[in-house]
Amino acid sequence: MRLGRYLQAFSLVALAVLLAVALTYKGLGDLPNPAVRDLALWYLYTTLNPEVPNMTVMSPEAVTAIVWDYRGLDTLFETMVFFLAIVGALAIMRGITLNEGGEGLHIERYGLSLITKTATKLLVPLIIGVSASIALHGHLTPGGGFQGGSAAAVAPLLVLVIFSTYYVVFKLRLSELSMISLRTLGLMGIYMTSFATLILGLVIGVNAYIFQNMPKANAFIGLPPALGGSLISGTLFFFNLFEFFAVAAGFTLVFILLSIPEVKAREVLKGEEHGH
Amino acid sequence: MRFLKVRNMDINGFLFVFMLSTIMLNLVISLYGVFARPSLIKKIIALTILSDSGNVLAIAVGFRDWPSGWSPSTPPVLNVTSPKASDVVSFARVAVDPLPQALVLTAVVIGLAVMLFLVFLTLQIYRLYGTTDVRKVAKLKG
Repeated sequence: MRLGRYLQAFSLVALAVLLAVALTYKGLGDLPNPAVRDLALWYLYTTLNPEVPNMTVMSPEAVTAIVWDYRGLDTLFETMVFFLAIVGALAIMRGITLNEGGEGLHIERYGLSLITKTATKLLVPLIIGVSASIALHGHLTPGGGFQGGSAAAVAPLLVLVIFSTYYVVFKLRLSELSMISLRTLGLMGIYMTSFATLILGLVIGVNAYIFQNMPKANAFIGLPPALGGSLISGTLFFFNLFEFFAVAAGFTLVFILLSIPEVKAREVLKGEEHGH
Repeated sequence: MRFLKVRNMDINGFLFVFMLSTIMLNLVISLYGVFARPSLIKKIIALTILSDSGNVLAIAVGFRDWPSGWSPSTPPVLNVTSPKASDVVSFARVAVDPLPQALVLTAVVIGLAVMLFLVFLTLQIYRLYGTTDVRKVAKLKG
């Protein structure tokens, strides 16, 4: 037992030294390097450059351009992983819901004091506003659908803690089912946006790709980079918008599931054991 | 000692090396947490620290040294919406590498998804068996 402990400690220290040596001498060269890699230069030159019309993404934000255009499929499957994780969580928590039983409850008796409740009422619209701004400006400034959605999910979390779960589910009607519907709508939006240019190409009768954003050399259609004088960077704006809804609804769903009273969850689990 | 010689151990170089060694230390401590702590909750916390250290390391790799002493490297965001050719050239000369940042964004989301799933799994294990100790959970029959 004691030998095992020493072996553990030794192997971990050896790993740290090995990683440090490998990264310093072979992997990365000098850090921090005053020059960036050629690939990075390519992204920086083409992210918003009207002089290379078949290469550019028309978004000044290089990270969003990579996430939703250059490596867009990557992000599509990442969204799928997130979706599947929530489906898995729902499957583990099956049967444990708050969908009925809200009739006889005096909802206003639950929760924290009047001061915290009033402060929360003032804060929630501000949180929603800031998170919408993060998501809708995702193609212009740092941020995007995922970050905005995560920020927006703080609002229902605050209400859950300060007003109680019953308030959210029975008064605000943010039930699990409505959150799943909102989430599915967001995912459908992402799905449709990734096909938008292809459908446009089919209608007009020219070449187009799945997940295409701006015109390419052999597929010269794309979504408009600007709408009414303000830059939307083609599909990037729509991806961020729909991802915002999908992520915000997904997180709210998880928070509601996590805040179901323990007594209720144990009742369901006990019933399951008797059933077998 | 090529690395130290190149940097000549100025204060910024020292700080950067210090940061990298802190990340390595973090990685190792969190690996210890994942392997050796018996509680599932502590394993999950250690896993969070592990993925966050990896993310910080990736961001540090994408960092670009200041082009000159007084002009800092900038985020990979152009601050004009209709740039001239000269704007793009000067932007590419000072901006940091956007690719690690995009990869870290993906890694954060996937890490979060996995974390959520693990949390729900642990919660149900605790509700059913009354423990989060893996040694006890492994001995359970049925």
